[in-house]
Amino acid sequence: MKNSHNSPLLKVENLRIELTTRDGVAPVIDDLSLELRAGETLSFVGESGCGKSMTALALMGLLPEKVGRVAKGSICFNGEDLTTASPARLNEIRGNDISMIFQEPMTSLNPVYTIGEQIAEVLRRHRGMNKAAAWQRAIELLDAVRIPNPKNRVSDYPHQLSGGQRQRVMIAIALACEPKILIADEPTTALDVTVQAQIFDLMRDLGRELGTATILITHDMGAVAEMAERMIVMYAGRMAETGPVQQVIDHPRHPYTKGLISCVPHLLAQLTAERPPLAEIDGIVPSLKDFGRDECLFASRCERANEQCRNQRPPEVGFSAGQLSACWQAEDV
Amino acid sequence: MADTNTQAVKDQDKPLLTVDNLTVRFAVKRGGMFSKKSYLYAVDDVSFAVKRGETLAIVGESGSGKTTAALAVARLVNAAAGKVDLAGQDFLTLEGEELRQARTKVQFIFQDPYSSLNPRLRAAAVVREPLDSLTTMSAEEKQETIDRLFAEVGLHKEQQHLFPHQFSGGQRQRIGIARALSTQPELIICDEPVSALDVAVQAQVLNLLRRLQENFGLTYLFISHDLGVVQHMCDSVAVMYMGKIVEYGDRLSLFNNPKHPYTIALLSAVPSVDKKRREQMQRIDIPGDPPDPVNLPRGCRFASRCPKVVDKCRESEPELTEINGTHRVACYFS
Ligand SMILES: Nc1ncnc2c1ncn2[C@@H]1O[C@H](COP(=O)(O)OP(=O)(O)OP(=O)(O)O)[C@@H](O)[C@H]1O
Ligand SMILES: Nc1ncnc2c1ncn2[C@@H]1O[C@H](COP(=O)(O)OP(=O)(O)OP(=O)(O)O)[C@@H](O)[C@H]1O
Ligand SMILES: [Mg+2]
Ligand SMILES: [Mg+2]
Repeated sequence: MKNSHNSPLLKVENLRIELTTRDGVAPVIDDLSLELRAGETLSFVGESGCGKSMTALALMGLLPEKVGRVAKGSICFNGEDLTTASPARLNEIRGNDISMIFQEPMTSLNPVYTIGEQIAEVLRRHRGMNKAAAWQRAIELLDAVRIPNPKNRVSDYPHQLSGGQRQRVMIAIALACEPKILIADEPTTALDVTVQAQIFDLMRDLGRELGTATILITHDMGAVAEMAERMIVMYAGRMAETGPVQQVIDHPRHPYTKGLISCVPHLLAQLTAERPPLAEIDGIVPSLKDFGRDECLFASRCERANEQCRNQRPPEVGFSAGQLSACWQAEDV
Repeated sequence: MADTNTQAVKDQDKPLLTVDNLTVRFAVKRGGMFSKKSYLYAVDDVSFAVKRGETLAIVGESGSGKTTAALAVARLVNAAAGKVDLAGQDFLTLEGEELRQARTKVQFIFQDPYSSLNPRLRAAAVVREPLDSLTTMSAEEKQETIDRLFAEVGLHKEQQHLFPHQFSGGQRQRIGIARALSTQPELIICDEPVSALDVAVQAQVLNLLRRLQENFGLTYLFISHDLGVVQHMCDSVAVMYMGKIVEYGDRLSLFNNPKHPYTIALLSAVPSVDKKRREQMQRIDIPGDPPDPVNLPRGCRFASRCPKVVDKCRESEPELTEINGTHRVACYFS
């Protein structure tokens, strides 16, 4: 335990994931490095299509078959490189050590089995529990994710639950084996804020009680501020900026991060009659086929862009407390 | 002369839309073949008004009746009871030519820019559709209108010939907005207009909606579950819970001084980047689920989850009562 505080649980180095599409081969993840420690929450933010889910799938060893592959770099979990692990070994790790809550809860539960059967199945496969013990544990897990009246609800089918309850069942399944890492891909996007708040509480408790580390993928900067210690801002398959959450929010060092924060109408502590227009980031994310270019991929949308930005990929510039920005003008932002 | 002037000023101040005691119910079948028909009251005796050129937001959790209320206002579902006054006309009872005329005044912008546009129509045709069905414009007038609308929502003329799938999400929502503007409506109902969009695109669309409101004096009924967006867009807010309005007030009063325990819980649950807000905000938990909408309790509908509940709340339902100015709350503790 003492050791795990010093060395990271997960260490990703120079990861490059390539997708083969009709337009050719494109790096959907381009030179990504990160570290995750026990009990810590790291957030991924960025626009649709920037590669957040793809990163999560890569960590789980679930890249789309024949389409996606690890072209470079390593993913070290507890010292073991997952990019070279056998399928059988990956299967063992998935659901046991690393679990994932997927973006679409409605499609990830099987409609023909009760929720109890689906939780118990995970426990029997990964933990070798017998039927009765697994069923009992399923009830406890439903209670832990605050499904009311779990003894009765355990025999319900997915369609008998509300959207928020289904998402809580997904979390129960992800937690069944007390994973060391929980990857949550937009776990609350389809839910009401009051339900979201309960699910966030649950995830926080886990970190505290079991030392579970969480990767939270979201587009909601408020959720990042509330949940995570560190964040990674992704843009077109690359890391635009990373650092401690509050530090990045207080002083973003990448124009894209700055835009992402200021274009959202945030709830304010004290509201006034004043209402200036929102900041806008014009244009859209480049398409996948342009991801690999040797230039700043944000340049076409950036007010500050100059010749250098359009002709050379910016290096990562370091600031205090591990804040990094991949911008030619990071110091001036 | 002086008289007509004061009349005009009065008209300006009068609400464009006044909804009184609107009720929408759906027949639902429960249990076996011989079970009796019961009703789900999706909107239950709801009243609100929107002034010309202003925005009323409707917020509330999923299933609280926001969309149904808006659809009923636009006559896209039938109201079981209630009255909708649109610019002085009793909208729900209009028929024939009068109805066609009135319909041009109300348009809808839907949540999903991906499925709400007919995929087989080119962008120009999508925008032209309401002009064909609701107006008597000539072909040239229609084309002029379309050109103007494309420019107003920030789309290029060349893009008129593209199909919806050839646009990005934000561009598609712009087509939806151009279409909604085509008949020069006075009231636009926006049902989650930016929920499916990325934050960067969302900002563009929200700014566009406010600019159009300013330029054309548009009135919006704005539905959203994102309270940050609502706070930015609205002039007043109606908070719905299980088919009822539980709190109603102007923007500053409602956000700075919320009164209903549900509103307070809702606001407290929104994660915020504002450090000050995070520090001073005490989260109010509302565990449990809302009651069965077909089998509502006798008292306050929020009683089963309310942190302040007392016996009285379970016995009789509190009325929406004025607490100051236009701020109204349906709670015994306000
Ligand atoms: N199976 C696939 N085959 C080909 N391309 C894919 C596949 N899955 C994803 N992509 C592409 O990879 C890129 C990154 O997708 P990804 O799902 O990681 O985005 P994301 O950041 O999670 O977006 P969102 O916020 O919309 O979930 C996108 O351009 C997407 O179109
Ligand atoms: N056509 C219908 N038939 C039966 N019940 C319906 C119908 N349309 C809506 N309902 C029910 O009416 C209630 C209100 O639904 P409505 O769609 O208005 O909610 P909402 O507030 O817009 O929710 P959301 O935020 O999820 O869009 C819900 O209980 C819903 O299940
Ligand atoms: Mg995704
Ligand atoms: Mg709705």
